[in-house]
Amino acid sequence: MRAAVAALALATIFSLAARRAEPATAVVDLGGSRAYVRSDPGLALCGIALFVRAGLDRQAGDQSGLAALVAQSIASTPVNAVPLADAVTARGGSLEYAVSPQYVRFYLEGPAGELPALAALVAGVLSAPSFDPATLGAARTALAGRIADDERDPRRVGLQMLRASHYIGGAGMPALGTNSSLAGFAPADAQSFFHQWYVRGDAFVTVVGQTGAASDAASRMLAAAVPPGPPVPAAPIATREFLAQPKRLVTRRDVYAPFVVLGFAAPSLGDPDFGAALVMRTMLTEVLEQNSALTPPLLLRPGGTVYGYDTVPAFMTVWLNGGRIDPTEGLASLDAVLKRAAAQPLTAAIVARFKGRARGEWALENLSLEERTWELGNAVAQGLDADAAAHVDEAIGQVTPADLQRVAKRYFQRFDVALVLPREGSGG
Amino acid sequence: MTQKAALVAAFLFALPGLPAAAAQRSFAPLTPEPSLQPAPSGMMYGVLPDPAQPTAAVSLWYRAPAAGFDVSAPAGPSHAATLPGLSRLAALTVAASTPITGTPLARLVQSVGGRFSVSTYPDSVAITILVSPEHVNAVVRAVTADYFAPVIDAAGFALAQRDVAEDAIYRSYDPPDAVEDALESALFSDGPFHDGTIVEPKTIAALTIDHVRAYAERAFRPANAILILTGNVDASAIDGAATRDGALPSPELLTRQSPASPGPAVQHTANVEGTGLGWAGPAISDEASATALDFTADALFAPKTGIVQRALGALNVEVTGKFVTYHDPGLFLVTISGADAKAALPIVQRAIAHAASPMNAAVFASARAGFEYRLLSDLETPAELADTFGWYAVEGNFAYAPAGSRYFHVAAELTPQIVARTVARYLTASPAVVTLVRARPAATSKPS
Repeated sequence: MRAAVAALALATIFSLAARRAEPATAVVDLGGSRAYVRSDPGLALCGIALFVRAGLDRQAGDQSGLAALVAQSIASTPVNAVPLADAVTARGGSLEYAVSPQYVRFYLEGPAGELPALAALVAGVLSAPSFDPATLGAARTALAGRIADDERDPRRVGLQMLRASHYIGGAGMPALGTNSSLAGFAPADAQSFFHQWYVRGDAFVTVVGQTGAASDAASRMLAAAVPPGPPVPAAPIATREFLAQPKRLVTRRDVYAPFVVLGFAAPSLGDPDFGAALVMRTMLTEVLEQNSALTPPLLLRPGGTVYGYDTVPAFMTVWLNGGRIDPTEGLASLDAVLKRAAAQPLTAAIVARFKGRARGEWALENLSLEERTWELGNAVAQGLDADAAAHVDEAIGQVTPADLQRVAKRYFQRFDVALVLPREGSGG
Repeated sequence: MTQKAALVAAFLFALPGLPAAAAQRSFAPLTPEPSLQPAPSGMMYGVLPDPAQPTAAVSLWYRAPAAGFDVSAPAGPSHAATLPGLSRLAALTVAASTPITGTPLARLVQSVGGRFSVSTYPDSVAITILVSPEHVNAVVRAVTADYFAPVIDAAGFALAQRDVAEDAIYRSYDPPDAVEDALESALFSDGPFHDGTIVEPKTIAALTIDHVRAYAERAFRPANAILILTGNVDASAIDGAATRDGALPSPELLTRQSPASPGPAVQHTANVEGTGLGWAGPAISDEASATALDFTADALFAPKTGIVQRALGALNVEVTGKFVTYHDPGLFLVTISGADAKAALPIVQRAIAHAASPMNAAVFASARAGFEYRLLSDLETPAELADTFGWYAVEGNFAYAPAGSRYFHVAAELTPQIVARTVARYLTASPAVVTLVRARPAATSKPS
């Protein structure tokens, strides 16, 4: 009853508030591929993301890490004796890349007026990247550092264990591979992967920030640099069914506390149940929160969630930090909430409270220019309207108690568990 | 540059008739120099809207010493001269206490999916809330009402005490944070910088609800407040800001402090190991010198590409360097930590000494391009913008905030010679040197 009263009070406080504006994304024909452009004239910078359908699911069974090695080799290809990424930095911009299950993304950012010059550097390499032994060696070294960073984060370790268990094929492989898998690739392997999957027909660009003639020119250069070729269809990503009894995956790492990570199947961005799943995410997050005077940093949170809606089908993990919460108590609380949500519809007042919070959290989902270009591209890569993420707010608003119960039943009753434990004798 | 070295996005104004250097790299012409306006309550405010942003930031800043106002009070067992951690404890207690509207601010923000943070610096405190645009008006009302007439209750105080103690432990294990705090302390013989912001949990436990109440009443009154709204906001949101009758009408002045006399290296016991070098630099009003030292810090210490970072090669070490644009003086702070810190120290010292000679023109041009880009890239989100605008407002030079045209105009006029002269003036003197060493665990008898 207290919750209901609180929900009503908050609804009153915010009832007169303005609605957020709908963003509009323009579609620009680049001559064979497309750019999805969202202007933010309040910024001096502009970000351009080039999406290529050369992600983890293009890897064969013995190619774990090859997608990342190819992407990193592009960033490491020398331009006037300097790696491409450093050459971009020296001209006052930045170049990053990320490998996802269904695409690889290169992100170029700089002052709008500088973008054509920066894009020319990247385009020059994209049209003829180096996969010679020296470049591959530099790429392996760079990847080793990133892999080590991931290994230090128990949430990432647990997430990867669960993804590997859930997704069949390349999509379940670690995004960056492993040091041993990377060591096994020769220049010809990288060359072959690049030529097979980096094709213009599967590429597109997203642009956010100070857009205009300069960003259009830069977009054209990037898209045109991808070798010509028609789209290459990809098979849908297959998953393993969850069993009635959760599968337990255990590892020991150099972590400061035990972490428990649960993995659930989840609706993807274009699924009608996506909004309800976000409300569920908020409920699960709240179960693991402690009363606090501020939004605590990740390290000090008892738990949290990661919604992998960059993949179709999507995946959600819930993690518990054993240094901040008794895992047994945390799991019991989660179990109670999940069972309750599936057993019968929650009251309208409770659902309204979680919907309000979920809508606000969604607005804060992607803030930086890089995140905003990713948001557009992730939707396009899944065959959705570029502005799909902007409509999620409305979808959350329409979630009913029955929707929430259906999603709780369908997605959140079966799961796998990863235990990431400190090594024997280490702290924790 | 702000304490967090986070500098804002772009309200750059291509003024006609800029000198040739300024025209070399022009950024999008957007907004004239920002200015602060007075509100009826006595609060100052600045609104910097960007309707294309998905969110908005509401940031309330105060000139408020981290360890309390009563710096001249006599020390003693029952009355400490300063109370480290007090500003953070007070700000969080207000957020966690239940006001007359019935919902603590922290919980209100959580209920709408927002993020609530409190940043404390030696001479200021910032309460920043990031929310979706439709909640801005309500948040402006709530944050000003709650802080202008603070309600302090026991439950909120207990919660805040726990959170502040946890934060103190967390920060004490971050080498750059811990070294910088010790450096600032070493550079002054009194005042808020000497007192620092990292405290031991037992110090927090010794603070009372009366300390907090007295501090909040003085620090958080409207006349001492600067409210910054950025992102997807409408200027009319200011109309909903609270007022308070009877509060002291004038703002706090920035606390005076005495620079410490140069002395031998200082060694402290801490939770982490590290070394720091610190120099007092120009005031925020000396824009040319402050910008030159911002540039120098970036050219030397930018991750991956800075001169120092490249010279360190494969050493296992973390080196940071920044110029912090405080009111007067600014501070140039360098931290060195990690297994190879000893080997890194002479490399860092050589690089700084070298910076007193003019850079090669091509290297300088590249360094400036990188510097300008990194400034802008740290200003992409409403929270980053609010952080920078708030900082420059509270330190007394809002128009110079690197989100406006003025800062970039000054940056465009830098030359290798100007930078070298500024480094020679401020960074060739002997720095304050601080070394943090880990406490040895106390000898314990082996359990039988």
